[in-house]
Amino acid sequence: MFRINNCQIFIENGCIELPDICLQNGELLVLTGPSGMGKSTFLHWLLGDTVEHAKVSGEIILNDIQLNPLNIEQRRLGLLMQDVHLFPHLRVIDNICFALPSHLKNEKDKSLTQHQRRELALNMLNEIDMGYVANHFVEQLSGGERSRVGLVRALANEPKALLMDEPFAALDPNTSEQVSQWAFSQLRTKGVPSIMVSHDLNNIPPQAQHMDLADFYRSL
Amino acid sequence: MATKIRRLILTAGWFIVTLVAGLPLFGIIVGLWPSVTISWDDVSHFFAYNGLASSILSTLFLSLFAPLLALYIGFMVYSQYRFNPRWQALEKRLAPLLSLPHLAVALGLVYLFSSGGLLWSSLWGIFGATAPEWLGLPHKSIATMLLAISIKEVPFFLLIFSALGRQLPIKNWLLQGRALGYSEMASWWLLVFPVLLKQSRLALLAAMAYSLSVLDISLLVGPNIPELYAVVLYNWQTGFTVEEQNVAFIGNLVLIALLSMLIAGIYLHEWWSVTTLRRHAVKRTSLKIVPISRLFTHWLGFFSLLTLAILVTFLVWSLGWNNQEIVQSSSAINWSFSLWQDEWFFIQAPLINSLYIALCSAIIGVLTTLLALELQRQNKHYLPDYIWLMAILLPQLSMVYGWQISHTAIHGGYHSGWVIMSHLPFTFAYSYLVLRGPFQSLDRRYELVAASFGYNYWQQFWKIRFMLLRPALLSALAIAFSVSVAQYIPTLMIGAGRVTTITTEAVAIATGNEQSITAIYMLVQAVLPFVAFLLASVVSQRLRGSFDVSH
Repeated sequence: MFRINNCQIFIENGCIELPDICLQNGELLVLTGPSGMGKSTFLHWLLGDTVEHAKVSGEIILNDIQLNPLNIEQRRLGLLMQDVHLFPHLRVIDNICFALPSHLKNEKDKSLTQHQRRELALNMLNEIDMGYVANHFVEQLSGGERSRVGLVRALANEPKALLMDEPFAALDPNTSEQVSQWAFSQLRTKGVPSIMVSHDLNNIPPQAQHMDLADFYRSL
Repeated sequence: MATKIRRLILTAGWFIVTLVAGLPLFGIIVGLWPSVTISWDDVSHFFAYNGLASSILSTLFLSLFAPLLALYIGFMVYSQYRFNPRWQALEKRLAPLLSLPHLAVALGLVYLFSSGGLLWSSLWGIFGATAPEWLGLPHKSIATMLLAISIKEVPFFLLIFSALGRQLPIKNWLLQGRALGYSEMASWWLLVFPVLLKQSRLALLAAMAYSLSVLDISLLVGPNIPELYAVVLYNWQTGFTVEEQNVAFIGNLVLIALLSMLIAGIYLHEWWSVTTLRRHAVKRTSLKIVPISRLFTHWLGFFSLLTLAILVTFLVWSLGWNNQEIVQSSSAINWSFSLWQDEWFFIQAPLINSLYIALCSAIIGVLTTLLALELQRQNKHYLPDYIWLMAILLPQLSMVYGWQISHTAIHGGYHSGWVIMSHLPFTFAYSYLVLRGPFQSLDRRYELVAASFGYNYWQQFWKIRFMLLRPALLSALAIAFSVSVAQYIPTLMIGAGRVTTITTEAVAIATGNEQSITAIYMLVQAVLPFVAFLLASVVSQRLRGSFDVSH
């Protein structure tokens, strides 16, 4: 369960007081709002990144653990951005291997070998019928393929929750709809609570919670 | 008619830039083209040279490892500073630090840390003891060369990483890496280093080509028995006998072969490094180099302090300090300006020559760069960088040897005009390195707005592009000036001793044992670039221009 309590986002001349958020596993919250309302700032604060030009306060609790004192790498929240930022020097399969946790063990209870990690990554790609891009580099992928691989990579890391910053905004409308539906179903199946920032009100799945930050804005 | 004139101007422009950018290749080709037939006797004479193998091996070792060491340190420093709030201020300090001549750094280290060095002997002097010879930095050794070159090249790589880093989404890569559970430093190594390494090939080659054929510091702080290959080759090149000249041709060929080996070394190292890091990324194993990175947190501070210490040491030596006296009593030192007064008569001519040659070659170099960039913009196609940077990618010793042969063949006189011309390819290459980024990234819409107001092409160029580029042009001028001041081989070989500069005089005096007088020349040589940067910075601040070297 992913909870955010007493959250306040201080932006220029104003403050957004969010109601307490509670997401069960597999649930999705979509945050919308006009530009400059602090949507991305809020996501970066959740991630544990340094927030510039704004102040955010509140309590972040994931599976009964308070995340506030932890740094980015300790929080283990997945991140998916508009530009997926697949690493250009690594092939698709190695991008996913990069995300696989180190604690994974094989049947002999030993750490996975390089070959086994690659096999696991390939299986993940095959699960979504994308095994054919395993040995491709980023520049060889289409926009839709990049988004799908980006999500596979984010999930390969076994994140406790996923943060998405307009992840499908760069795709054309048809691809965006296809990829987003696929992504939401993946997140539901894997039971990962997720928060997505979007400016597209048409792209909110019916089962998702929705929050418009403008509704909670008050000027100072 | 107007089209014909325009075409004529463009052709003349291309002729000038091709001449300047192509001079290095011309020199190399002439240097490899013997006027007499080379016999097997010459070949066997070459290979029979005593200590040749050892000389070549130590040169290869130095040329490969000093730049690589600098590259790794540069990356560790860059990764520590890049997202530091003070980075922009620190970035501005890089160019002046870079301008400190190699010779000043090399001799400065010896003056500070050798057994008789100021810092080292002062430290021992506190305890009333004499610094043991074996503990200090050797006056002449491969270790001293390695240390000097690797320390000196770090700001160069920092400047390169800084320029490359601006075009890469490093912040997002690191964020992704950290979100996937890697530490920030591990993310730097696994995600950023392989990309920067590939994009730094030319910079690495430039540093290696420099180390391969550098003569002044090889003469002064390089090992003696056997000497580094640059010294051996230079001795053949300046030999009077036909045999020596023939061996020099073979020596040039070997120098090019060594450069090819270094290029192979660059690719081999890149393959090894990227494969190793990829293995770590795939297996998610810890990197041993990560903790080492933290050692370089204060590197920029250390280098600034070292630069200051070097300048102070030269000053102190020039005012009468002597390492023998410090042991006895510091009060015994007779501080005076007498050395400066005595030397002033001798220093004037080389100083004026240095200023005149550096100023002319820097101005012509920067203008030629501007011409090369504008011609490419007109063509809507920028040629690969290595074409323009050949002066710093090819071994200087071979190319200048080719120029010297041509110079002698056309009976060119020994005056500063030829020396300026020999400096020009270098001032051009460094100006190109500095100006290319600001020139290409200048927003074309400024000129479109001017065009909409009815300004013609030349007016747009001078009133908009040139004016906006003024701060970057000043930085390029300062760097080109510093490069010219530090030139040794071209001044020596084309000036043939008739045209002396601060650098040639400094080396000549330093090969003797006059440390105090050497200090005077070294101080002047080191201060000249700082004055150029100071002037460029003061004038820049008075100009309104939206692009500077940091863009």
